[in-house]
Amino acid sequence: MITRRIQYEIAGNVVGPFLTSLDKWRKKLRPKKKGPKKEHPFGPPLESVNRLKDIMTRYYFQGRYADGAVPVAWVTSGFPVEIFRPLGFWTVYPENHAAICSVQRVVPELSDVVEKEGYARDLCGYARADIGSVMTGKTPVGRLPKPDLLACCTNICQTVLYWYRALAEHFKIPLVLIDTPYVYGEAPEHHRQYVKDQLLELLEVAQKITGKTIEPEALAEVTRKANIGSKLWGRCLDASKNKPAPWTGFDEFFHMAPIVSLRGSDECNDYYRGLAEELEDRVKRGVGGLKKETHRLMWDNLPIWFNVRGMSDLLAQNGFNFVCTTYTNAWYEAGKVIDERDPMGSAAKAYTHIILNEDLPKRLSLMKRLAREYDVVGAVLHSDRSCKPYSIGQYDLKDRLQAEANIRVMVLEADHADPRAFSAEQADNRLTAFMESFA
Amino acid sequence: MRKAYIEEQKSRHGRKAVVVLPVHYPREILTAMNVLAVELWGPPGPPRGPEAGRLQTYVCAVVRNALAFIASGGADVADGALFPHTCDSVQGLATLAPDFGGWKKPAFRFIHPKGPLRASSRAFIRAEMVALAQSLATLGVAPPTDDALRDAIRLHREIDALKLRLADRRAYLPVNDADYYRVLRRGEFLWPTDHLNELRDIERKLLDTPAQKGIPIFITGYVPEPMSIFDVVAEAGAYVAGDDYAAVGRRVNSRTELDLSDPWAALVDLYDSASPCPTHSAEQAPRLAHLDAIMQRCGARGVIIHEQKFCEPQLFDVPALRRHFGAHGIPQLYLEGELESDFSGQARTRIEAFIETLSSPRSAA
Repeated sequence: MITRRIQYEIAGNVVGPFLTSLDKWRKKLRPKKKGPKKEHPFGPPLESVNRLKDIMTRYYFQGRYADGAVPVAWVTSGFPVEIFRPLGFWTVYPENHAAICSVQRVVPELSDVVEKEGYARDLCGYARADIGSVMTGKTPVGRLPKPDLLACCTNICQTVLYWYRALAEHFKIPLVLIDTPYVYGEAPEHHRQYVKDQLLELLEVAQKITGKTIEPEALAEVTRKANIGSKLWGRCLDASKNKPAPWTGFDEFFHMAPIVSLRGSDECNDYYRGLAEELEDRVKRGVGGLKKETHRLMWDNLPIWFNVRGMSDLLAQNGFNFVCTTYTNAWYEAGKVIDERDPMGSAAKAYTHIILNEDLPKRLSLMKRLAREYDVVGAVLHSDRSCKPYSIGQYDLKDRLQAEANIRVMVLEADHADPRAFSAEQADNRLTAFMESFA
Repeated sequence: MRKAYIEEQKSRHGRKAVVVLPVHYPREILTAMNVLAVELWGPPGPPRGPEAGRLQTYVCAVVRNALAFIASGGADVADGALFPHTCDSVQGLATLAPDFGGWKKPAFRFIHPKGPLRASSRAFIRAEMVALAQSLATLGVAPPTDDALRDAIRLHREIDALKLRLADRRAYLPVNDADYYRVLRRGEFLWPTDHLNELRDIERKLLDTPAQKGIPIFITGYVPEPMSIFDVVAEAGAYVAGDDYAAVGRRVNSRTELDLSDPWAALVDLYDSASPCPTHSAEQAPRLAHLDAIMQRCGARGVIIHEQKFCEPQLFDVPALRRHFGAHGIPQLYLEGELESDFSGQARTRIEAFIETLSSPRSAA
């Protein structure tokens, strides 16, 4: 245990930072390519990208040594993780990991393994990738620490429960659940009480596993930091209300990693403070995410992780920029509600009122607000085969958005994780036709 | 026929009718409030009307067909619709149809907690049941008295007990699977006493000697659609000795002792003792033990895992089922059905071949 703890601290505080510095030096020393520079449609790269890489590399590198050194919990992206922080849990986000698997295009390989076990290919690609990863031990991040606890919250979907139950069976460890009743209209009192009661039950389980007690002040402090972090993230997103937007929606997808994985920490807040300042500076100087932003769009649903590059190139070449997305916005909307004066009560409210846990009129209202505030002329709704709760109702949303927000809307059939459920040519054709309609 | 029955129930008995999406809901509350529950499992077959196109083809057909059906006026005879919190897709339909068009009458939701019952979820489901009764009262029916609720619980317990007796004596019942399951599934829309009478009629047919000569098999799945599965099984020389269909066998509660002094608490107890179901996010180990017990009781020689495409709660359990049956040497057939169409020739051949292998004495489980 002590040796493991030493390894863990050295990995996080010495080796991790050293490796990232080494990587930077290696890049600096690499001979520059000769010949004319290739023209691209993007604005200058964000300087914060390097810090993002540092943080996430260190996070995953230190994580390799976390099990045996500190308690480890694998949690869903919408889980009230604030309760775990004061107890010293190292948290792993399988969704974030699955997104990396998708970007690295290893989902088909991992999925093949679980499909042989009987998992249908129609199930969520994230779930298939992660279950495949734990079954094979293969991961693009080197190694994921073995969990002591699995924690899932149904506010993003019920799939996570089935997915985590499979993980619990595999690891033979406890699974704690925060079950958030879907909100139709307004959540009645007994729904809010139910979530709050579960948070108290969670507190007991987490304390039992660690043998520690959460001091109310410590919980309040983490809650305060999570609230600040969410607002800072919101500040970053708000920067795109300016014209041109200082970054792209595709940038947002990658820069959301800390608010998902490190919410409630100083590291997360420092990062977003720096990013917000950089974005605001770009706004002052008129520097855009694209060199020439001609059309502003909204994106709905998860990104198509394995094809972000292809799509962003195609759109950027034509001056189209996703200046807002319902997905990245979710971490702002919920986090700003949590309140250090009432950590449990406010968490119950915040984590219940997540976009995916609210009815379609709320979703439409949010999309109309984003369309107005970010002054978009169109929207692309990603009909995501792997995410049914996000995709159900999109055909109706399309019609209503067109009529009520007076914007052009396209539904794009794809998948957030599995390239086998995606036709790049067809998607490019549809996007091209969509862009031509603005000519 | 169903429409005529509902209209008759309304006119003759002054009942309200509520169309109910799958799967689990406290039917006793509706009975106690003189509300007829008419379940909507699709319906099977191709979607009726263009409204099915409002949902992507990767959404389960039960939900797509239900949207098409209610939006085309198929359920207009009902006074309201109840959407239990079964899965992400039914949950989505519960906002899509009432909020964005397709269902104009009152919509009720019943959110049942996920996972094993804990102190928090016990309190929640009780409150949710009370809230359901209050919302149903907006149809102009009186909230249930404790006595009415007790009577309804007793009536449904009697139905469950009779279904269990029939299941235990299935081999002695001279009725083919298609007819037997048709009677069982008429409980999806009949008033409980009418359903009980039909079950009693069939019970009277029980023989003292085995009437089923085929190979006993067990089926687990969501809903026995297409119903032709029973004909295919029969033609291949087998019969369904036991089932764990979410629509049929899984909904029969085997609890025998129940304290009715507080009927709301009794409903919570019933929920707690229901057969393990993936839509409740039941843990897999108790579910597998439950399936083992049924298989042992009915003497099945093989199992058909019959799933509907895109049904996430069910599909996530398939690897565990296959592993479990495989480890116990139980012959199994995985079958993916589609609500919209009949079994393909290939699927029929697979069922026939599977049952043929069971006829070998060495294959007995």
